[in-house]
Amino acid sequence: MSLAADRWPAFVEREATARKPVGPVGGTLVVWRVELLKLAGKILVRGMIVLSLIGPFMVVEFLNLQSATPGDTPFGQWVHTSGFAIPMTILGFGAQWILPAITGVVAGDIYSADDHFGTWKTILTRSRGRGELFAGKFLAAATFAVFMVLLLTATDLFAGLAAGREPVVGLGGQLVPAGHATWLVVASYLSDLPPILGFTALAVLLSVASRNSVVGIGGTVVIAVLFQIVTLASMPEWGQQVLLSTPFMAWHGFWTSPAFYGPFGWGLVTCTAWIAVCGLAGWLIFRRRTIGAAS
Amino acid sequence: MRRAARGRLAIIAPLAAGALALLATGCSSSSNLTPGRLQASLGATFANLYVLQQSEMGNPPVTAVGLDSQASCQKGGTLDVVQSGSGVWLCEITYLVAGPGYPVIAKYNVNVQTDGCYAADGDGPASVNGSPTITGPGYKQVVNPVYLIDGCFDTT
Repeated sequence: MSLAADRWPAFVEREATARKPVGPVGGTLVVWRVELLKLAGKILVRGMIVLSLIGPFMVVEFLNLQSATPGDTPFGQWVHTSGFAIPMTILGFGAQWILPAITGVVAGDIYSADDHFGTWKTILTRSRGRGELFAGKFLAAATFAVFMVLLLTATDLFAGLAAGREPVVGLGGQLVPAGHATWLVVASYLSDLPPILGFTALAVLLSVASRNSVVGIGGTVVIAVLFQIVTLASMPEWGQQVLLSTPFMAWHGFWTSPAFYGPFGWGLVTCTAWIAVCGLAGWLIFRRRTIGAAS
Repeated sequence: MRRAARGRLAIIAPLAAGALALLATGCSSSSNLTPGRLQASLGATFANLYVLQQSEMGNPPVTAVGLDSQASCQKGGTLDVVQSGSGVWLCEITYLVAGPGYPVIAKYNVNVQTDGCYAADGDGPASVNGSPTITGPGYKQVVNPVYLIDGCFDTT
């Protein structure tokens, strides 16, 4: 037993755990944690969280101030009749472009910010490899997307519940009682998780490939709007199904009587393919690029 | 700079090509938005909403099954228009309120979207679907359920 270990056992122990090699999974988690901390400090991210907290209640107040209803969206004509129509009107109106924008702001910037600030050289000389960095950043962007969907589910549902818990008319003309309607609202919001993760992967690809946050964020939003416009055109069924924006509307089937889940199933396949292709392409570009040399 | 531009092109080109291909094939191919699916969905949805309308007006209760509602839809426009796909459809819903001998017909302009969801606008008779609100017991104004019908059917 050496003298040093005797005198500072706590110090020696701490040193030992801190220096323990963490492996690729541990390294990814380290990057993930750091990236989440960085995100939490961003003004834009905090602003989006605050807006998600108060936005739904502002929508309810706005709807209460006017007698007209947003009748061109499913559930829109029932916003004064049942509180459950409110989260569904918000989802029907905004899912296809608000959700891609939310994830685009983070995922479209998370790689290219290090190009903008010239910090790749600094990060890559640390103990984390490229694979760990790529995976950790991807995971952080995906975590933020999932977090925002869960947050919006909660706030939109609560805003609706606060406005009224009457049964709501479903998309099959049937009256949906409050208990079942609550579950349908939650299920509808959660069914938007696969497509928002698809857009996260797309934004990551844009961010990595362009090394430019304007392209990363703006490109994601533009592509989302383009998809939404293309959706309006008459296309064969498979054409609709390969678009990343179609799964955002798969929840329509949950609200009919009897319910149908075909579009949701197809959406899962579509989104998995988009995530795989964009993720893989992003990684291949990221792995091969030269960092530090003039490029 | 040139390298970055090439990277951007590598992303945009396949996306644009894909979108163009979709648009090109879309003009000729058949669709799952068939009259049969639309009619089945609209007929059943109307029946449910008519039951709701009658109960909100305080009228004697009716059942959706008893109405035996049948929708018949045709796509508007020229005579040679393909009877499938998104766009405006004209639908007539026949339903029974006083026994099989007395069918009633309600008309709708139905705007069918590409995802199988539709908005059906009431087009007569005015007493059934002509007004956005109806008068319930105690002169209370409520939303007329059959004035504007939102529904969806499976296209997969």
